[in-house]
Amino acid sequence: MGLVARVVEEAGIPTVTVSTGRDITALVRPPRSLFVNFPMGNPFGRPGDTAMQTEILRAALDFAVTATEPGVLVDLPQQWGEEFVYFTGEATPEALAKQLKK
Amino acid sequence: MEPIRYVDALNDKYGAMGFPAYRWSENDSAPWTPLAKPLSDCTVALLVSGGISHCAAAPFDPDARNDHRVDAIDPNEPSDQYQIHDSYYDHSDADRDLNCILPVDRLRALADSGEIGAVAARHWSGFMGRTYNRSKVRDESGPALAAALKADGVDLLIAIPA
Repeated sequence: MGLVARVVEEAGIPTVTVSTGRDITALVRPPRSLFVNFPMGNPFGRPGDTAMQTEILRAALDFAVTATEPGVLVDLPQQWGEEFVYFTGEATPEALAKQLKK
Repeated sequence: MEPIRYVDALNDKYGAMGFPAYRWSENDSAPWTPLAKPLSDCTVALLVSGGISHCAAAPFDPDARNDHRVDAIDPNEPSDQYQIHDSYYDHSDADRDLNCILPVDRLRALADSGEIGAVAARHWSGFMGRTYNRSKVRDESGPALAAALKADGVDLLIAIPA
């Protein structure tokens, strides 16, 4: 995805990437990145939390205005409020067989 | 809490399944296009890579590899009309409220209040994980998306990896 943002930016359209995977985003280096330390399925927060969803979205929009150098990654201050772990998904035998065929 | 180290976690997971280590692109610089207008004049589009498709469209392959499918998302469609198929992350919250990962309703509200100029005619969902043939993103699927964004007069793209 960061690679796509780079291609779009090169084509002349500004991009802001809202990432929950800090280390991956730091490697790929999209033009402008915000890291939000939330679970990967929740970059804008929890279901029904319109205030938080708006807050993160607004931070992304504002960053398009305030960012001044390419490749910068900013850590947003919002906290998830509880520990969370990497979701390992369903590595079922069926899923694995499908993967290995590709 | 400390950020999760996904590079290690993902390679541990897929290494245990017999995959070679995935090497993300490493860049020490980035391209740059300045925002040309104030936000209140900008047309804004969203792009998400979380396996989200309209209920009337085919589901994404939840275990995708090298899947360059990109769907246009109608921004005026109710946000409960989508399905998520992606085994790379926990989308149980997003299943209940799409705005957790693709804030279509929140963006529309910001357009209604005049904070942004307009919501783009199309949002985008695609570029699922495990893309080993990245030159195709650089040379084909990425530029095709950029051309579509230009056709829609998009001034700013918010990209959401998942």
